[in-house]
Amino acid sequence: TIGLQVSSGLQDLSLRDRGGRRRDFHDLGVNTRQAMVHVQESKTGFSGRMIKLTTNHFRLTSRPQWALYQYHVGYSPEMEARRLRSALLFQHEEHIGKTHAFDGSILFLPKKLENKVTELFSRTRNGEDVKITVTLTNELPPTSPTCLQFYNIIFRRLLKMLNLQQIGRNYYNPSDPVSIPNHRLMVWLGFTSSILQYEENIMLCADVSHKVLRGETVLDTMHSLHSQVGEERFRDTCAKELIGLIVLTKYNNRTYRIDDIDWDNNPKGTFRKSDGSEMSFVEYYRKQYNIEITDWMQPVLISQMKRKRGNIQGPVALIPELCSLTGLTDKMRNDFSMMKDLAIHTRLPPEQRQREIGRLLNYIQKDDNVQKELRNWGLSFDYKSVSFTGRVVQGEKIFQSGNMFDYNPQFADWTKETRGVPLIRAVPMDSWLLIYTRRNYDVANTLLQSLFKVTPSMGIRMNKPNMIEVDDRTEAYLRVLQQRVTPDTNIVVCILSSSRKDKYDAIKKYLCTDCPIPSQCVLARTLSKPQTIMTVATKIALQMNCKMGGELWSVEIPLKQVMIVGIDCYHDTVSGKQSIAGFVSSLNQTLTRWFSRCIVQSRGQELVDGIKACLQTALRNWSKWNKCLPSRIFVYRDGVGDGQLNTLVNYEVPQFLDCLKSIGTDYCPRLTVIVVKKRVGARFFAEVGAGLKNPPPGTVVDTVVTRPEWYDFFIVSQTVKNGCVAPTHYNVIYDTSQLKPDHVQRLTYKLCHMYYNWSGIIRVPAPCQYAHKLAFLVGQSIHREPNLMLSDRLFYL
Amino acid sequence: MDKNFKEEFTQIIKFKPPLYKQRHQFVKDLVEKYKPKKVADLGCADCSLLRMLKFCSCIEVLAGLDICANVMKEKMHTLSPLPLDYLQPSERSLTVTLHHGSVAHKDPCMLGFDLVTCIELIEHLQEPELKKFPEVVFGFMAPSIVVISTPNSEFNPLLPGVMLYRHPDHKFEWNQAQFQSWALETARCYDYSVEFTGVGHPPPGMEKAGFCTQIGVFIRKHPQTGESVQSEKPTEAVYKTVFKAVYPSLKDEKYLQNAVISEVIFTAQIIKHRLMSKHEEYGDDPERKSKLQPSMDCFSDYLGKLVVEKNMEPFVNGNEFYIPLATIFSFPKVNRLCGSFEKLCKLIAGKVRLSSDGSAVMLSIEHEDE
Repeated sequence: TIGLQVSSGLQDLSLRDRGGRRRDFHDLGVNTRQAMVHVQESKTGFSGRMIKLTTNHFRLTSRPQWALYQYHVGYSPEMEARRLRSALLFQHEEHIGKTHAFDGSILFLPKKLENKVTELFSRTRNGEDVKITVTLTNELPPTSPTCLQFYNIIFRRLLKMLNLQQIGRNYYNPSDPVSIPNHRLMVWLGFTSSILQYEENIMLCADVSHKVLRGETVLDTMHSLHSQVGEERFRDTCAKELIGLIVLTKYNNRTYRIDDIDWDNNPKGTFRKSDGSEMSFVEYYRKQYNIEITDWMQPVLISQMKRKRGNIQGPVALIPELCSLTGLTDKMRNDFSMMKDLAIHTRLPPEQRQREIGRLLNYIQKDDNVQKELRNWGLSFDYKSVSFTGRVVQGEKIFQSGNMFDYNPQFADWTKETRGVPLIRAVPMDSWLLIYTRRNYDVANTLLQSLFKVTPSMGIRMNKPNMIEVDDRTEAYLRVLQQRVTPDTNIVVCILSSSRKDKYDAIKKYLCTDCPIPSQCVLARTLSKPQTIMTVATKIALQMNCKMGGELWSVEIPLKQVMIVGIDCYHDTVSGKQSIAGFVSSLNQTLTRWFSRCIVQSRGQELVDGIKACLQTALRNWSKWNKCLPSRIFVYRDGVGDGQLNTLVNYEVPQFLDCLKSIGTDYCPRLTVIVVKKRVGARFFAEVGAGLKNPPPGTVVDTVVTRPEWYDFFIVSQTVKNGCVAPTHYNVIYDTSQLKPDHVQRLTYKLCHMYYNWSGIIRVPAPCQYAHKLAFLVGQSIHREPNLMLSDRLFYL
Repeated sequence: MDKNFKEEFTQIIKFKPPLYKQRHQFVKDLVEKYKPKKVADLGCADCSLLRMLKFCSCIEVLAGLDICANVMKEKMHTLSPLPLDYLQPSERSLTVTLHHGSVAHKDPCMLGFDLVTCIELIEHLQEPELKKFPEVVFGFMAPSIVVISTPNSEFNPLLPGVMLYRHPDHKFEWNQAQFQSWALETARCYDYSVEFTGVGHPPPGMEKAGFCTQIGVFIRKHPQTGESVQSEKPTEAVYKTVFKAVYPSLKDEKYLQNAVISEVIFTAQIIKHRLMSKHEEYGDDPERKSKLQPSMDCFSDYLGKLVVEKNMEPFVNGNEFYIPLATIFSFPKVNRLCGSFEKLCKLIAGKVRLSSDGSAVMLSIEHEDE
């Protein structure tokens, strides 16, 4: 039977409220620094020039000797209902005061009650006497994890008081939306906020957040999908497009994730209410909300509740007509014109972003009720954002076949500088296939001519390919591959006439698993513009060279006998069943060649066993290439969600150590594990004159806004054309390298220069981006581990 | 005071649905019957009745009054518009206001209501307040309908564990005769008629005890005599407004304009896509007929018919696609939103790219990258 949540409205504020789920989003209480002796004194680097930075952090101030008093509240006889418990307790407001936070059993007060144990007597309306025992259990200093969690709850309370709307974890201002009618989108401006203990202060980190909402219902979306793909592919397409998306409803303020679509059900179907009676959806919505469901043939959406909400457990049924989609789908993300229209509103340049954040602080400062609430708790904010000095480390020189390049560090890009220069290792294309449809014959020839023009200066020797014309059908492509690919084939190039995914998937699947040969798919459209064809051909030539095992450029790596590992995960939102971990490890001293493996795991399975096997093969391959085992290993671990740090520290790191131990008793390399996080709330702005600019690439921040219990730092490595650059957060959770923090930071920054699909600096270390690429390819197209014959090449680029 | 809850807590065994729900349903049925536009709930407590009433589509003004600001504040945000109310503004306008004050005081903000509900309110009033109550509600507010519910003390012996009153804050609980004589006297005094009913049936054989909750529905005998009466009334505001929410509505030009622009552009784009895809090599299969989807089918048939008329035919000129406004206006949704063609033109002026003579919407033909 399907439980359906019944009442509307926001949940009560409580310690189990959405934002403060008991899952620890901020990884509070995971103290990894204490185990690393060499960073006890200092975890800061020193190299580079100083730069004045402003951030989006604001100090929280409390009165001296401030503490939060935590009480346990017991009832005798036992009272079940939370509302009754609250009501009974708050009959004694004269005792406990008007300022309180109570979740049904734990009570927080800003002041200490006279006695450690207070007994209060209440009477229920049917005359039952209830003894309430309020016992002091804790006196919390401002920096305790519980207290921090409490600040966050209070802050959410303030946002609610400001009439902001909660969607998911953030709060949005509904009164001034931006509508983008071209795409039927609406963008709400809102705020993300978190209050945490940073290096020296407890601070509020506030950032602007944009919520994309859609003006249409899920039923509307289904209709337009139906008209696009027709009856036959309708259900599959709906599943692909809709599952995993978050919806809002017409009648309450909750968000639900669509986990499934029940095609056998419809609004006339019934469900069992909490009182046990059966009722149809049509009747329920009519009675409860005066809403008439007009389409009685629509299917029903299913949302699995992750945790108990009120008295409802298990799956929730939703009516498409009453739901509206939020956020962007992958399809929308790929819609160039839509993203361009959105970017105008969502990519705020530094000064504007800081202004918007200032607006929130201004609301807080100006609102009497909010100020009163803060005063009652004895809290206040410093309304000026925190400023400090960061460092910009020296730019890296790019080496390519005996040439050394300087480039403008502002742009973080050396495309121009390295054009027409021989590659470090150019793999010849002696035998290769070029497959195209009749319609694309001209395009194929254009590509071929352009490749002949650009490859000689790179040092790539290229023969004429086997030109093969095929019908524009997946089977036709596959048949040609089966017939014409030989063991000598260096690479297969396919020109595709549309970005239809099935063809691409089939080609990749065949050439990555059954017949392991590097392949390059090119959309005909990208070759159709004469003015860009040489640039495109250059990019394709470089990419193909990498896929065949070539090397493009390098940076100086002072460490010897080092193996770098990158790990990232891909979660299949469509079928929801698979997760893929990409694992990439360096093979040589210059970090120009990479070994890769992949772990395909079903839902709920732990990653660790697979990783152990990957690391073993990685070490075996490294020693094959270098005739010894690495003496240093650096693991860059991406794809770690909020609140998963503890798992990583307690389960994954021991597995790495176990694996190393299993290699040999006398093998004891230095290991460093660094968690890489791209999605962080912190933003840095360079103070230039009176204005704010994005900080330049190479900006390192390891003070003030880092966490005292971690060995962590931020690096801004990339540049952005529009909006604000997002710093990447690095958290060294395990380190026996004995290296100075400065060196770990520098090595990390160097690695951001080594991603061969982009001749510039990227946001994360190259092995993370490679691992991401691999996991994405496998998750999207191949669905099983690629053939190990390809594992020493960047075939997944 | 959390009166609704407490009653539910002990009587859930006895009454199904719980008594407070039955009371709310009673009010809702009354609203369905009389379709009042302005409704006030006196003693609204945690606003649960208001929360239910906001879904009643006839109501345009909803007000709550309570003597305790904290209990109102606790859940008042649930009366705010939902994100979807902004995304799909409704036809009706709705304003929800919460006031902090006493039913013993007059405040002009309570004038002009069609229905005033006092659910489980009067038994919480002290003697002096109860004395002033009729004059404030019936004399001053003078709505068309007043609903008053209160416990029936004759029922108390049937409730387990009730000693004196059902709730410690109750100042009195009346039997049927007491309530009815008070109600009849009040009705007579202010020229209302009153009918008695209740919710919570007594168990079989105990019918004499009456309903667990007794209810009086008061209807004003004569229509309001006009502005003159109200102007004599004091206009000094004594209540404090603790909450106000104005729901987005298509009656508000700002939301109407947004909705129209969005619908016009969307419609234009559908027309463009439909016509373009017919020309495309991998275009729609004309044989493909949808079963699930009458609406979209109608749409294309509809378009087919329209295009026959010459002046309404969309056309291409250079890199631009032109869709005549007349075509767009003929789509039911646009039509319904705007009402008239002139209104459509006025609303989209300067907001949608139009041809030089203003007769057609222009969309650039450039291929949208997938």
